[in-house]
Amino acid sequence: MTVHSQGATTSAPQDAPHQSAGRPKAQSPAAGPRPTPPRGGRKQLPSGWLPYLLVLPAVASMALLLLYPLIKNVILSFQDINKIEFIQRKYPFGGFANYTQLIGDSNFWTVVVRSFLFTFANVALIMVIGSLIGILLNRLGKWMRLVLSMALVMAWAMPIVASVQVFYWLFDEQFGVMNWVMRTLGFSGYEQHNWFETGLSTLTIVTLLVVWGSIPFVALNMYAGLTTVGAELYEAARMDGANGWQTFWKVVFPNLKPFFLVTTFLEVIWVFKAFTQVYAMNKGGPDRASEILPVFAYVEGQSQAHYGLAAAISVLTILILLVVMSFYFRLILKQEEEQ
Amino acid sequence: MSTTTAPNEPAQQLRTRRPLRPATVAKNLGALLLALVFVFPVYWMFSSALKPNSEILTKDPVFVFTPTLDNFTKATGVENFWTYVTNSLVVTVGAVLLALLVALAASFAIARMKFKGRKGLVLGVMMAQMAPWEVMVIAMYMIMRDAEMLNSLGVLTAIYFVMVLPFTIWTLRGFIAAVPVTLEEAAQIDGCTRGQAFRKVIFPLLAPGLMSTSLFGFITAWNEFAMVLILNKDKTAQTLPLWLTQFKTAFGNDWGATMAASSIFAIPVLVIFIFLQRKAVGGMTAGAVKG
Amino acid sequence: MKRKLIAAVGVVGMMVGVAACGNGGDDKPKSDASGGAKEITVWVMDGSAPKAWIEQVNKEFSAKHPGVTVKVEEQKWTGIQEKVTTALSENTPPDVIELGNTQTAGYAVTGGLADLTKDKAQLGADAWQKSMLASAEVDGKLYSAPWYAANRVVVYDKKAYEKAGVTPPKTRDEWIAGLEKLKASDPSAQPIYLPGQSWYILAGFIWDEGGDLAVKDGGKWKGQLATPQAAAAMDFYKKLQSYSTAPKDKDEATPQQSTDIIPKGGVSSWIGLGWEAGGAEKALKDAGKDADFGYFPIPGKTADKTGTVFLGGSNLAVAERSKNKELAKEWLALATGKDQMTKYATEVKGALLPNQVGANFTPAAGSFAEAMAKAGLNGKITPVTAGWANVETEPNPIKEFMTKVLKGEDAAKAGAEADKEIANRINK
Repeated sequence: MTVHSQGATTSAPQDAPHQSAGRPKAQSPAAGPRPTPPRGGRKQLPSGWLPYLLVLPAVASMALLLLYPLIKNVILSFQDINKIEFIQRKYPFGGFANYTQLIGDSNFWTVVVRSFLFTFANVALIMVIGSLIGILLNRLGKWMRLVLSMALVMAWAMPIVASVQVFYWLFDEQFGVMNWVMRTLGFSGYEQHNWFETGLSTLTIVTLLVVWGSIPFVALNMYAGLTTVGAELYEAARMDGANGWQTFWKVVFPNLKPFFLVTTFLEVIWVFKAFTQVYAMNKGGPDRASEILPVFAYVEGQSQAHYGLAAAISVLTILILLVVMSFYFRLILKQEEEQ
Repeated sequence: MSTTTAPNEPAQQLRTRRPLRPATVAKNLGALLLALVFVFPVYWMFSSALKPNSEILTKDPVFVFTPTLDNFTKATGVENFWTYVTNSLVVTVGAVLLALLVALAASFAIARMKFKGRKGLVLGVMMAQMAPWEVMVIAMYMIMRDAEMLNSLGVLTAIYFVMVLPFTIWTLRGFIAAVPVTLEEAAQIDGCTRGQAFRKVIFPLLAPGLMSTSLFGFITAWNEFAMVLILNKDKTAQTLPLWLTQFKTAFGNDWGATMAASSIFAIPVLVIFIFLQRKAVGGMTAGAVKG
Repeated sequence: MKRKLIAAVGVVGMMVGVAACGNGGDDKPKSDASGGAKEITVWVMDGSAPKAWIEQVNKEFSAKHPGVTVKVEEQKWTGIQEKVTTALSENTPPDVIELGNTQTAGYAVTGGLADLTKDKAQLGADAWQKSMLASAEVDGKLYSAPWYAANRVVVYDKKAYEKAGVTPPKTRDEWIAGLEKLKASDPSAQPIYLPGQSWYILAGFIWDEGGDLAVKDGGKWKGQLATPQAAAAMDFYKKLQSYSTAPKDKDEATPQQSTDIIPKGGVSSWIGLGWEAGGAEKALKDAGKDADFGYFPIPGKTADKTGTVFLGGSNLAVAERSKNKELAKEWLALATGKDQMTKYATEVKGALLPNQVGANFTPAAGSFAEAMAKAGLNGKITPVTAGWANVETEPNPIKEFMTKVLKGEDAAKAGAEADKEIANRINK
């Protein structure tokens, strides 16, 4: 499953070149004389083929292990496969039955709405707090910055499977440290407070986990982005008498717009697909009240053994995601054209 | 993100210009508090792992205790433990290396060459990033089952490779595109073939991109749970995430062992992050570390 | 690794097998089995098979079948249904699988389990207890061999009971009166530990009232939680639960009552299975405390009859797609035969009832096993129908029903919601 805390940065490309422009020059002379028709020259494929040859492995592997399962999934969504059919490996055609059942099911729509709210709340929190911490990093002294960024890296590096266990343990009803914290702070009713009592409270804890795990990515990249905003720009803003807020909107934001776009996009898809965090925390419970779309699909498919129905849920999930993201694709394609 | 020469100046200038003491204090306090919040779950994992069992299941947490390695002994004493470790490493490293190799070729073509279908490919790669793998497990399972390819580390590696591939292509493409074409041309004028130019000019400039994508790939593959759970029932073909969850049993949740296992599972990633992140996350923390 | 080699070797066999797929490989001769290295895989649940016992079963098996090894894989309860379902659809499933008695029928109808009706003689089916056989059969066909059964009893701390002047009760009223005394004698302790979702216990109360979890009505099953009987049962459960500070939305396994709760102290009694009592005793001793447990059957409404209890248990089945069906059946016959079942009952000290009376272990006076055997006389199982397994899967509607009522919701309303869900699932 895709992980939420990623080890990659996204603002990289814009400025990558400047820095080491010096290095390769030192290397290129080593290439020696210039035999203009180099070894490969004769055998070189017609240049038209080369790009296709280069992308072939990628395309082939994605077609085989991503596209094919996707198509299989779509086919499954039109079949009526439950436990019996699954074990007997029969695939009776069911038409649109799975889809009509879903669309008429109010639970499904509840889950859809919940997924959107969950995604929105998480991404908003991640982006706002993450950016603020990024700005804070930029303004700290070197020691404090080292301390905070190390702490962030720790949280970032925690594998999700492990961090879910830890959070569950922190919020344990009987022996969890959070109940102790609340008691120590003087709140009553935390003798054996059940943090997973309702769907909302469960999702709140999942949100804490997701936000905790995702902020470092945003904060550290934000900080990196900030260091690339030229000092003279701040200078100019200050001369114009801009305050901190205005500086942010007039200088920082426009410069880091690509960063915000890319990061928000990634966070949206990561949060929307956050299966492990939700499922491992409380299995989508209590009473199915913390299920988001991928968990809904899993519970229907794997636990209830309605494989066709689950496939239909996943197809709808993909479609929803595509619609939500379509504006972003348009943006990227536009960029491509401009290049 | 930048680079070795990345300007730290703005940060420093901002700092020197700030005269307000109380604000500085508040800022540092805030940062300290944040650091604590972020580190606490990690700390709690390690400390619970080191506690004797009698001090784990307590209503009021115990902060001072005599550390013991009992939980680690129990966690690693499980049957097949080293098989899980080897499997996890093989699958993860294999997937990452494969992804880097394939993505390098593809992203070079996308970034540097004009060909028909390029735009569609870019779109495809974008969309592939959104693939909801967790909900596709059943379809994947049925394919592999019918192809008699269950319980195979090779299949697992291949799947993880494809999971990581789109992101890797996308990121590397950005890095390659950022290398001025003129550099490459200069190298070719100097007598390099296109391949050599790639190797000698572009490749070194990609280091941060390679680092960050491999970090991403490593975490994705290292963490993956749903696929391996359903595809590989044979214990000799399972990986560490499955091992991690096995200390919750009918006889009770062994939190000490679970935390010890989580620690063991997290340590490689933590180490890799601490080593790689300076380069991978580029100049971003170079500033932080070197001041 | 080894398994893959075997799989590769097995390819040839499979090609032969493909043609015979539909009717299974029954006709595969035993000579096939005795030749060359073979392995059969047995899935047992976590906690079902004591190591010493299963090792000697396998030793005996290997002695009879030279070159055949038995690989025993212990499975966790979490997610087991998903795992068994997918495993049964595979070409090389585990050969023998332990299934919960309430789930066996659900798998039998899928065609994933081998039909053992013809092998009854080989398996020694005549000796099996009728009450256990019920869950192993569907429509007169045998799909598994009963293995063991168990039921819950009340486990109490003798010292706490003595201090409060309480003796083991014979009726519900006495039980409650005793809990009151316990509460008065030590207000800091829980007179009984009872989490809100122990639905097997509730099932017993419902049966006591003459109700049931679900009944068949005109060819269709329907839930029975919206009935007055269920409401009365829930009422009593609620009363009992009020003596406990256990979570209302958890079952006895989260946190594990036997090893996480009881060893901490502060609990005067609880309701559990044999292995739970054993686990708690061991954990207490490990912690340097002493465990002095007494046991009594869950009291009935009147003194002449103990409370009805859910007769839990497990069956052992052979996978239809097993490549070694004959060997699997032979292993099954050996493990569930009188000889090995006697050893089994002795090994678990009677905490689990063996599948035949002849193998019974005579429990010591005052032991868990004694109380369990007494209570087990009034045992029942959940509705035997293929759809029942669907009801039990999480999120279990009975559990949700219990939590809702314990939190104050009206039993009829919560019951109606649960019945709707049960009807939904059980008829699938």
